[in-house]
Amino acid sequence: MAGSQNIGESSDNPVAINVTAMVDVIFCLCIFFMCSFHFKQLEGKIDTWLPKDRGIFQGAINNDLVKDEVRVIMRWTPPAKDSQKNGREAGGTVRKVAQNNPVGSDEELVRDILQIADGYNRVGNTSWPLVIDATAEVPWQDVVHVMDLCKRNKIERIEFAAPSVPIQ
Amino acid sequence: MAKKLQVQEDVSPNLIPMIDIMFLLLLFFMLGADMGQRELEEVMLPKALAVKEDKEVKGQKSDRLTVNIYHRYEKEVPCQAFANHEVCRDDKHWRVGIKGKDYTDSDKLLAMLKKEADGFRTDPKNPKFSERGLMIRADASAPYGLVQRLVNTCAKAGIYKVECGAARPPDKDLADTKKG
Repeated sequence: MAGSQNIGESSDNPVAINVTAMVDVIFCLCIFFMCSFHFKQLEGKIDTWLPKDRGIFQGAINNDLVKDEVRVIMRWTPPAKDSQKNGREAGGTVRKVAQNNPVGSDEELVRDILQIADGYNRVGNTSWPLVIDATAEVPWQDVVHVMDLCKRNKIERIEFAAPSVPIQ
Repeated sequence: MAKKLQVQEDVSPNLIPMIDIMFLLLLFFMLGADMGQRELEEVMLPKALAVKEDKEVKGQKSDRLTVNIYHRYEKEVPCQAFANHEVCRDDKHWRVGIKGKDYTDSDKLLAMLKKEADGFRTDPKNPKFSERGLMIRADASAPYGLVQRLVNTCAKAGIYKVECGAARPPDKDLADTKKG
């Protein structure tokens, strides 16, 4: 009886389409995209440069260069095997600015950098670069952290120490 | 004898709302999937607060090359250090990839970078230097030595405009840092 049927029932639509196959395909597609989906992390960039005329000077620094750059030297100290026995501190990245003593915290590092930078700025040299000179064992995260600290303190010209290429 | 009345009820679920939802889900996952980015390998980028948003103008020829430094897959080389998010210092575990191809070999990398840089040597006074930009997307667990090798190769090829890929920490971490 027509009166007892609900709206949208099959009797309203004389040409019924079998949607089962379509549902199956959509399910498969959904599973494929769900499995291959990963949330994209917010990526950005930090601008740096390679110095055209400065090389790598781990330890011994060329005094001429010290006059117009701020060089952050980073080296890795491996953890001591008997660190738990004698209480020596664990390994990590040792950072120092130019010929200063190694620093213990980010604040000290920034203070040392700004101190040298102030000296340059006072004599009118505002185009000094900050050169990162790290050894191969230093974690990349630590190097990026130093770059991040510099950028946060409005130091824009960051360079990586690279083999010296003389300007023609 | 009285006959038992048998009523056969046709129970068919209404599939239309489910199909609608499935379509919406499908649309969401299809739009969210990034299939076209073969240039970017899966890398856990180092975290940095002062990152600049990376805006590339779509449709324009990019003058920047992306170099990925990424750890080989867990199935290929099981690495305890990398699994624990520590620095993996085994050079054999790392790969240098450009546009989906492996350039771990230094000579191959230098040849490729020189070829890329040649089209951008615009300054006749300094033909050694190229205006070609380069983005380093290195994993946070990579040792600096790998980046250093790449940087040295860039210097040999005359590429000096270098950008480093970094990830902005989630807003929660950002708030914690600011409080600290």
